[in-house]
Parts: sequence; structure tokens; C-alpha cells
Amino acid sequence: MSILIDRDTRVVVQGATGSQARFDIRYCLDYGTRIVAGVTPGRGGESVEGVPVFNTVRAAVAATGANASAVYVPARGVKEAVLEAVDAGIRVLACFAENVPRHDAAAAVAAARAAGARIVGFNTNGIISPGRSKLGGIGGDRAGEIYAPGRIGVCSRSGGMSAEICWMLSRGGLGASTCVSMGGDPIVGMRMVEVLEMFETDPETDACIIFGEPGGTHELEVAEALRAGQLKKPIVALIAGQFQENYPAGVSFGHFAAVIRGENDTASAKRRLLAAAGARIAGSLEEIPELVR
Amino acid sequence: MKLLEDRAKAWLRARALQVPEGRVATTPGEAGAIARDLGGRVAIKALVAAGRRGKAGAVRLAEGGEAAEAAAQAILGMELAGQRAERVYVEAAVEIAAELYVSFGFGRLAPQVVVSRRGGVDIEAVAESDPGGLIAADIDPLRGLRVWEAADLWDRAGAESALIPQLAALTARLYEAFQAADALMLEVNPIAVTHDGKLSVVGAMMEIDDNALFRHAAWRDLGLDDAGPGGRPLNERERAVVAADRKFPGGAIRYTELPGDIGLFVSGGGAGLLQHDLVLAAGGRPANHSDLSPATVDKPAALFDAIFANPGARGMLVGMNYLQLLPCVLIIEALLVSLRRSKVDPRGFPIVVRVFGPKEDEARALAASVPGLRYLPHGASLEEAVREIVAAVKTIRP
Repeated sequence: MSILIDRDTRVVVQGATGSQARFDIRYCLDYGTRIVAGVTPGRGGESVEGVPVFNTVRAAVAATGANASAVYVPARGVKEAVLEAVDAGIRVLACFAENVPRHDAAAAVAAARAAGARIVGFNTNGIISPGRSKLGGIGGDRAGEIYAPGRIGVCSRSGGMSAEICWMLSRGGLGASTCVSMGGDPIVGMRMVEVLEMFETDPETDACIIFGEPGGTHELEVAEALRAGQLKKPIVALIAGQFQENYPAGVSFGHFAAVIRGENDTASAKRRLLAAAGARIAGSLEEIPELVR
Repeated sequence: MKLLEDRAKAWLRARALQVPEGRVATTPGEAGAIARDLGGRVAIKALVAAGRRGKAGAVRLAEGGEAAEAAAQAILGMELAGQRAERVYVEAAVEIAAELYVSFGFGRLAPQVVVSRRGGVDIEAVAESDPGGLIAADIDPLRGLRVWEAADLWDRAGAESALIPQLAALTARLYEAFQAADALMLEVNPIAVTHDGKLSVVGAMMEIDDNALFRHAAWRDLGLDDAGPGGRPLNERERAVVAADRKFPGGAIRYTELPGDIGLFVSGGGAGLLQHDLVLAAGGRPANHSDLSPATVDKPAALFDAIFANPGARGMLVGMNYLQLLPCVLIIEALLVSLRRSKVDPRGFPIVVRVFGPKEDEARALAASVPGLRYLPHGASLEEAVREIVAAVKTIRP
């Protein structure tokens, strides 16, 4: 088992004829992902890397039975793309564009939630269940080297750090059941605590690693769920961005969501609250394999 | 991007909301002319992005042209929150019997509305002294805010019954204006109730989503985001990076200068944050923070240019996370372009490179053509890269 995607996941790629999508489709197919359809309105009948392209998600689903979507549509088109996919019955979506307009993001997430669909992103580099399937550019052309299969669930607010963490696990003789890059935009489709709740019920996940940043409340919600006993599997937390506390509040140094606005938003406060709730705090990447073992 | 009172009110007025008549003046003479034209009492307010203008004396009431000129004279040139008041807003003064508060913003997943029957005061103070006086609710973005839902909020906030129908209608229409503007924030403080029981939008502030400016051509060219750390203006390197970010298509670059001596070419949002922490923990002092997302050579080269142009930088860490989308060779190509045009020699300006991922072999071959570049072996950790640059810069520090 794994969460969100597995060997049987049938993937449609929205915006399949763009250059990043073509690049990723090649690597995903090589990895073993079952990419069954692409969608680009006006390009129906063409193919990308041997994958048939349709004009609409509805037509793609009818012809191929796709049940997950990799959304490569640019930020300004993401809302419509999500509404279309959800309407066509897609229940897992990865949305890669960054800087999606906030009102569009909120509307897309509301539509997905109302239908029982899950969005990973916005501004994610994907999801990978090592050795089984991957959605998006995650792992690039060396997904096998970076992401080893194993029994650790990984949830990261940074796509780059999902790679660093999993590579560190691989070199420590460990591996991931699934690694979810949550996305760096201010509104994302799944809260960190919701990803961990899925790992909680996954029989092939023994422990979890989270990567957090300053700003927002994802990590605080995880601490709350830990304290309330809703999450029982061990959690190792790496929280970056303590340096921001040397600078005035409201200054953005990276992801837009990583802006400190309140006193519990800082990296130090998040570490303190997670530790008090029972999580193990990693001071660096190199400590992770020992802490999670 | 913040919209000051004149633009925020123009947006609301265009949507037929009850906003007092008003116009912008840049000289006392203009302010006097507008006051004579409006007739009666006027309010004169500094147009700056600062709260608590009233307490600072930057909001004044005046009757007649001469009094308005004197008030504008007093306000123009004032320093408020580090900004000079160069324009004033002159509007018809409203006779106020009571003041209320409403604002719109975003919660974790959805838009949010907050109402309070205590308007006209600092709302953070109300939140502390009387938390029950603020009523907040999420709004379903697909169906919007219904009038009856707004009525329920005002009822719970303890508003006078006779006012609730008007308040509910105004609140629902303000939400529509908030959404139509692609606003991240809209605050009306106060909504004034006049002696004859009418409502008026007397205070209005808005913040617009920069990522939605493609839908709002009129606001798109209003100006750069000028805030550096601590509200200081951007320096020329930071401005150059903003300009390059807008000029070249695809990807994104960000650059913020800091007082240290180690240039950070870091990316990946979180990975950049972690490396900055690690540099500090290892005893180094970053000369900047940066971020980069996949792009052509132009954007990373512009980011390298800024780091090399910073007089404080004595060395640089090219500390990318394990790349998954971007070919490594593109980063090295950008580095070579910038080394050439910035006339930097890595033999006197240590450069540690940790770039792994697609097309790494090509990247290594290209880097080998530049004497002095320290390209770390495949598999070196972020921590090792940080230790190496901190040690290298220490040896050349004067």
C-alpha cells in the first residue's frame, strides 16, 4: 500500500502538450506510472510520447478510465482545469503551477472538497510512491536513485527538500512508502495534518517525516493532532527558516506562504510546539535516518 | 499590492456602494478647490499606507476652502511609518452617529469575513479586550456570501435590529467587490451610520493579489513592490533582480541583501531556508538570501550578477537542492555567463557548487573549464557544502 497513488493509478495529464509536461511524461512513463491520456483543448487526436491526447478530461476519462490528474495548466487556467477534472470524476490531482490567484485557489479547493477529491499543490513538484508510481516531475530522471521504497511517509512543504530527505533516507538504508510535496502556495489542497492522517491508516507506513517552514499553521495543526492522540505513529520534524527571526516580521524570503505574521509562525515556535506534542525534532538532514529508525 | 484609500474607494464607488464623494490633491491649493466644490465640511487625509493616521494628526476636518488649504498644508510632507505624505484625499465629511467594522481576507482554505459592532477603533485592540465583539466566518467561494448569512453575522455581533437589513446587503455586496478585485484583503473601518440611519463606507483599505494582475490591467503598472527587509527601499541590485524577473519569461528569481559576506545562490524555497540556517549555525554570515524556480539561463544569470555586484560578498555557495525539474548544466551556463560579464575570478572569490540532478555530467564538464570552481562530489550533503564555503570565506576575510 501507499497513499494517494499506487501501481494501478491511471493518470491523465492536463496541459500535456507543453514542454515541461512532455519532459515529465517521458520520465513518468520510464518510471512505470500508468499515464493513459493527455488533455489539451484543440489538440485532440495528437499524441505525446505515445500517449493519446483528448480535447476534454471527460473524453479522456470515458476512453481510458483515468482516475488521477497531473495538472500542468499555467496558473491563470488552474481553476477551470480543476473544476473540469473534478466534474469528470477525477479524485486525486497534483497541481504544479505556482502563484495561483488566491480566489481561484480557494474556489478550486472548495469544488474538490465538495466532490471528495484531493488536490496536492498548488506549487507542488509531485507525489511519488517509490517503485510504484509518480505524479509530476518529482525525482526528475533519477527518481530511482533519490527515492527508495520503504516504510516511511514523507510530507514536505518544499519539493527540493522532499528530494533531500528521501535521498538521505536511501543512503541510510531506509525508504519511503509515499512522499508528498504539499506545495508552496499560501492555499494548498491538502493540509499537512490530512496527509499524515492518510499515513496513519496506511498499513505499510511505520513512521513519518515532515519538513516545515515559518508561516502558516500546518505544523501547529500537526502538533494539535499529535497531542489529541489522533496521530500515533512516530513523527520526525525538520523545520527550516529560523534565520528569519533575525529580520522584521512580514519579510518574505522564499515561498510566499513562509511569511512570519504571528508569534507561533516562527520556526522556533513550531519546533517547540511539535516537541511538546511528542514529535522528534531534527536539527539537520544528517540526523534524520537515526531519529526515524 | 496595497491600494490606498483613493483607489480602493474608486473601486467600491464604481460598484455602486455608498462611498462619500472625494478626490486627490497634491497641493494645498488643489485641496481648497476640491473642498469649495464639495461644499460643507470635508475630511482631509494623508494618502500613505499607514494605520492610525488619525492619531498621528494626518486626518483633519475642515469647513470651507481656506480651512481645507491649511489642513492640507499641515498634512502634506508629514512622515508616517517611514513614508512622506505627498498626496491628500479630500472627501465630503459624514455626520457619524455610530461606527461599525467589516473586513474580508483569507483563512487556511477559504475566504473569511469578520464583522464587529465596534468600528472606528483599532480592531486588534478589540480582539484583545473584547474577543466576543468580533464575529468571523468562512465563506464558500463557490456560492459567495448570501444576504441572510450576513444578517446572521450582524445579529450575532449585536448590531441594532433596525440596521441589520442594510448592513447585510452592504456586507454581501462588499464581498462581491472583494472577489471581483481579486483582493487579498478589504477592510472597511468604519462603516458609518448617519443620524438619519443611512450607511456610508468611510474608511477603506484593500490589498490586491499580484498574481491576478493579468485580470486588472489598470492596476498592473502602478509600481514596484518597494519593501525590502525592515521596510527599507530596495537597493540597485535588488531592483535589478526584480526587473529581470519581470523581463524574462518563465520561472522566478528573488534576491534580498543582508549585511554578511557569503553570497547565497540557493533555491527550492525550503531548501534555501535550511541552507541559510546552516550557514549561520556554522558561523558564517549570509550576504543575501535568494530563491529560484525553473527558468531559462537569463534569470539565474541575473541572480548571479546581483550576488557578484554586492560589495559585501566575498564568496558564494551555489547550493541547489537535488534538482528534479531543472538540468544542472543550465545553472553552470548561467554562472559562466555572469562570471564573464561580472569579471569575477573564482581563484580570489571562492565558489562552492553543489548541483546534482539531470545533466550533471555536462554541468561538471563545463565547470571544469573554469579554474578555481569547487564542484562538490556527487552525494555531498547540504551540510558539507555549507561547511566548505564557510571555511573558504573565513580564510580570505580581511
